[in-house]
Amino acid sequence: MNSPIEPLIHRRRFVLGLGALPLAMAPAARAAVGGLPSNTGHGDLSPEWEKLRGQIFGTRPIDATSGRVQLIAPLRAAYGASVPVKIVSHLAQTPALYVKRMHLLVDKNPSPLAATLELTPEVGQADFETRLRVDEYSHVRVVSELSNGELHMDSRYVKTSGGCSAPPNRDSPELIGKTIFKLPAPPKMGVPTTADLTVIHPNDTGFELNNVTVMYIPSHFVRTIAVSYAGRKIFDADVDFSISENPTWRFNFVPRAPGELRAEVTDSKGQRFIGSLQVG
Amino acid sequence: MTMSFRPLLRRRIASAFVAGALALCGIAANAAGLPAAYSPLVVEPAVDKGRFEFDLGPALARARRENKRLYVYLGASDCPFCRRYEAFLGKNAGELVPHFKPWIVVDLRSSLSTQADKLFIRAGGKSLAYMDFQRSIGDERTRMLVYPSVWLFDPQLKPLMQMPPGTGTFETVEEQLEILNLVQ
Repeated sequence: MNSPIEPLIHRRRFVLGLGALPLAMAPAARAAVGGLPSNTGHGDLSPEWEKLRGQIFGTRPIDATSGRVQLIAPLRAAYGASVPVKIVSHLAQTPALYVKRMHLLVDKNPSPLAATLELTPEVGQADFETRLRVDEYSHVRVVSELSNGELHMDSRYVKTSGGCSAPPNRDSPELIGKTIFKLPAPPKMGVPTTADLTVIHPNDTGFELNNVTVMYIPSHFVRTIAVSYAGRKIFDADVDFSISENPTWRFNFVPRAPGELRAEVTDSKGQRFIGSLQVG
Repeated sequence: MTMSFRPLLRRRIASAFVAGALALCGIAANAAGLPAAYSPLVVEPAVDKGRFEFDLGPALARARRENKRLYVYLGASDCPFCRRYEAFLGKNAGELVPHFKPWIVVDLRSSLSTQADKLFIRAGGKSLAYMDFQRSIGDERTRMLVYPSVWLFDPQLKPLMQMPPGTGTFETVEEQLEILNLVQ
């Protein structure tokens, strides 16, 4: 079993490692007409990804053509700080073979690993929706790790910018930490049921400027989310400020009997929040 | 002798200034707004009690008559990013204008001082402030008004695609064509 601190250390390494990228990338930089990079195809690689890939997955093969996982994201987003993404798994979540882990990455973000999800078969159908900060034109990727060890990837190129330095909303600071579940449709026992989880939280990146004080707002963001139903783990998420403010996740779970849907959330200041919803 | 020449010299200098000023005005008039090559339907705001209202009614009526889509551009007279996009369109008109044929280009002419609370859009018998208008059409760009902005509508004012803020992500011919082809 992995230590819970391990992903955090890894993330720090990615961030630190990326600091050296501009120098490393310079010789390989390619440009197209209009000054745009030429690797703008949805399935293209990027120097950032090549580095991240080695750090996260080592030399393990990653299949980008299997269609086992699909990422849906707009080519251009209305708002760089809130880019809607949807992950669709074309694979039934069974105890015999299931999506065990998902990595959601934004190649060019200051902290590119937006989320690592640890899933169980209790998810029923490994589809997720959330919103991301995208700081500059970048590939967004999802890598699914199956319970048999296979890695499958899909990616989309997103043209937007400023997501990590966008002015924050600070309308209701007293609500920070409020953790809310909603079921878009009534639950059905024994089949995957969709749920929405929202944590009211600024998810400050540390790159946002306070327009009044002209000082940067210190980073303060949700770090972990653990979701369970009737005491059974649905998924755990190790998340970062690349997730938009008020982090929201749409996911599935399989209620087999009435029970409590519960989320335990921690943030980068060590605060702990809990939200729950009685189902059935 | 010298004295007698001075009024003439003054007059010539004054004439030169006036001509220069007129020329500058001419340049400014040409510079602000979408290039004529795109045959834009220019909409100036109706100003009343601090409200700047742009009426999309005539553009929508024409779109329905001609069965065309609307390419609605909101620019400001004092906005450098607007000038940049307009210059891009002007420079590439030869290549781009044919691709704008299925569109009626609408040029809403505003100014940077017209912010979200003052800017109203009239369409379908209703006049809505910017944020309310955006909500009414399901546009996600409600958080702030950005100059320039572009909307793509069908003749019934249904947005054809969620657009980004500004025009910075489609200032190459290839990217402008992505927008016109509704590539998402």
